Amino acid sequence: MISRVAEHCLWLSRYLERAENTARILEVNETLLLDFDVPVEQQWRPLLIISGIHDVPGEIDGEAVQNYLTWEPANPSSIVSSIVAARENARIIREVISADMWERINYYHLWIKSDEARLLYSRSRTEFYCQIKRMNQLIHGITEGTMSHGEAWDFYLLGKYLERGCQTARILDVKYHILLPRPELIGTPIDIAHWMAILTSCSGYEPFHKKRLSGDLGISVADFLILDPLFPRSVRYCVSRAQRALHAISGQPISDPGNAVEHAIDTLVHWLNQVNIDELVKSGLHEELTQVVNQIHKIGELVHLTYFDVQVGGLAETSESGLPSTSMSEEDDPASVAKARVSGSSSQSQSQAAQEFQSVS
Amino acid sequence: MLAHYTPSRVSESPQAAVPGPIRSLFDGYQCHPTAWDELFAAPGRPHPHCESLVSRQGELTISEFQHLRGNADLVFINQGITFSVYADRRGVEKIFPFDLIPRPVAAAEWKTIESGLHQRIQALNLFLFDIYNDQRILKEGIVPADLALQSKAYRPEMVGFEPPGRQYLHVVGSDLVRDATGKFLVLEDNGRTPSGVSYVLENRVVMKKLFPKLFQRFRVRRVEDYPQRLREALGAVAPPASGDSPCVVLLSPGPYNSAYFEHSFLARHMGVELVLGPDLFVHEDRVFLKTTRGPKRVDVIYRRLDDDFLDPEVFRSDSLLGVPGLMRAYRAGNVTLANAVGTGVADDKAIYPFVEEMIRFYLAEEPILGNVPTYICARPTELAYVLEHLEELVVKPVAESGGYGLLMGPSSTVAQRSEFAAKIRENPRNYIAQPVVTLSTCPTWTDEGLAPRHVDLRPYVVSGTSSWVLPGGLTRTALVKGSLVVNSSQGGGSKDTWVMEDGR
Repeated sequence: MISRVAEHCLWLSRYLERAENTARILEVNETLLLDFDVPVEQQWRPLLIISGIHDVPGEIDGEAVQNYLTWEPANPSSIVSSIVAARENARIIREVISADMWERINYYHLWIKSDEARLLYSRSRTEFYCQIKRMNQLIHGITEGTMSHGEAWDFYLLGKYLERGCQTARILDVKYHILLPRPELIGTPIDIAHWMAILTSCSGYEPFHKKRLSGDLGISVADFLILDPLFPRSVRYCVSRAQRALHAISGQPISDPGNAVEHAIDTLVHWLNQVNIDELVKSGLHEELTQVVNQIHKIGELVHLTYFDVQVGGLAETSESGLPSTSMSEEDDPASVAKARVSGSSSQSQSQAAQEFQSVS
Repeated sequence: MLAHYTPSRVSESPQAAVPGPIRSLFDGYQCHPTAWDELFAAPGRPHPHCESLVSRQGELTISEFQHLRGNADLVFINQGITFSVYADRRGVEKIFPFDLIPRPVAAAEWKTIESGLHQRIQALNLFLFDIYNDQRILKEGIVPADLALQSKAYRPEMVGFEPPGRQYLHVVGSDLVRDATGKFLVLEDNGRTPSGVSYVLENRVVMKKLFPKLFQRFRVRRVEDYPQRLREALGAVAPPASGDSPCVVLLSPGPYNSAYFEHSFLARHMGVELVLGPDLFVHEDRVFLKTTRGPKRVDVIYRRLDDDFLDPEVFRSDSLLGVPGLMRAYRAGNVTLANAVGTGVADDKAIYPFVEEMIRFYLAEEPILGNVPTYICARPTELAYVLEHLEELVVKPVAESGGYGLLMGPSSTVAQRSEFAAKIRENPRNYIAQPVVTLSTCPTWTDEGLAPRHVDLRPYVVSGTSSWVLPGGLTRTALVKGSLVVNSSQGGGSKDTWVMEDGR
């Protein structure tokens, strides 16, 4: 398929997944500490941090944070920005996605821009975030059931699992940022409530309790969300699904990684398969999670170089063999930079991408 | 461009004359005093081919009709059938207003339009081949050589080049108008990248959803085949070396173009890739598509990009939308462009008055569809007529576009006319003149209920190795009382065009 179209497929699902994860985090945080007297600052600042925003000066107010992460058009990760970007990606590849998908994504966009959505937000925050989750799940179901499961679908899955793996790692990392100033809270009821909230935001409360009920709660939750082989939002599951999608795209057996991106993800999958939670805790959960997020970003960049950045040179080099391959040039394709593409978590690259996006809108 | 038609006086609001509440749709509809009405031969008396339509749609009450209008708008909004408004940086998208009263065309009338378009496009195509090769028509003085060769749309790069099948005009959308006597005339030919056909198809989908029973009762000719016909025509003009399944792509200027919806629509329905300039590159005079599996050969490009932007090596060097080297590949015969490069000279305003002569010259036939009568001031007898009748005519300089520098005779002052007469005498070659035409009207929903609004008709002709006229077309309607401007950019709307099957 056309490289540019593949790129839009990937970003369509990444943005949808991002909107859903932001809604999940906000929903849980909203209800999280109702029972506890936690300073507002401590409750909300971590949400900004995991969105890559480290430098908000002054007092943090819960309403302002929710507003920023939900409605702020200048914040490229806000729910509304993610939906706008997902819809724009879908519109550009309208001829590739199914009619049902398009209609629902377009409706989602119309809805988030409507007074109705604002009204729901002001009446019931929880119901609003649930509605975001439901719309995403509906779109994913429609996509699964109506889009041909060919290359476009594989890029869609790749984007979805890369984003979700990243988000789960980040959600876990919230814990680190909340506890940072107050180590004496570990093991207290408030600590337990936090862990439960994190599980819930990943829809992991019930599956977790079916699996393990003993040992240190925090470590068990981290183990579950990072290393569980079957839970669909665990980091390990997401990365291995992304690997599966990559090999479906290339047609290469998983046991025999061919290109640079397949080698990179193979390394990460191997590591996740053999590492255990005690080792992670020992070397520092925050450091290890940061490492995972960085690895996923690197994989994203390699996907770009391998599949989206086709160079004219690729033809000349291989025209004799008759098997032209895509280029592995390190240069970033200026045309694709101008597209609705937000890469990574750093707020700098996000706002840069946001500016580029707005300048072409 | 309808700017040169002056509005005639339109009757007062249709409801003003009718006392009491209006219950059903056509009650109280008053025809335009002078224009041809597309539905009614006389007040309350529909044309024979419109009788059943008027009686069936007429059963609707105003509130039922309003309800259906709301549904139609929702379909367009939910499906994102919208065009972008450039002025707004946030990318506000609007729907193209759609009117639920169809515009029927009787079977016999359509036959005339159809054969007239075939004839006209055949002649225009022969004209293009001629002016880029032997230039017979110029040598014989049928068309003045300077008019053709100095046209901005004339492309010297095309001289001596023969496109596959000698086909230049793969898609044409000519604008037809109907005068007060009911005769269809060609207002202009669009032989570059005519747009609007996606609305023809989408309008029909919406009408079928809203009025399924109407379609069961009437035999309205299908328009749904268009994308397949276009796909076949494009495949038929592929370079001979491209084999049995040529790679056809649609080249769009991109998602920020106002017609992007249509590009996407056509690509989807034809089953071809929609590409942007940067998706393509030229290597050794062959065109390739950048895919996830490496470069792929492209054989036919249905381009929705103007000549100026196609190839920065040859045309505008600042174009980022085109493909460097595309003209080399085209001239080497390794890729087919549809429409061909340089077709704009055939729909140039300066050339338009000669199309009837072209038909006689190339085909030795009388034109079936006429032009709006045009006086060419370069001809002494016509010049004399124009100077004597300035008050009744619209006079246009051929070199200008966009309605600049023209004289609207009926609304001009004596001083303006004498000033203009001097200009014409000074350089008669630069002027043409046309009588004012009152466009036909069709009942259209307005804030004051159903009222006559002026319409035109853009049929589409697709040509590969043979030509096919889409039985239907885009009926554009002015929404403002008395206005003759139907362009969507000027707030016009559209209607479903019903070409009736034989015997209806």
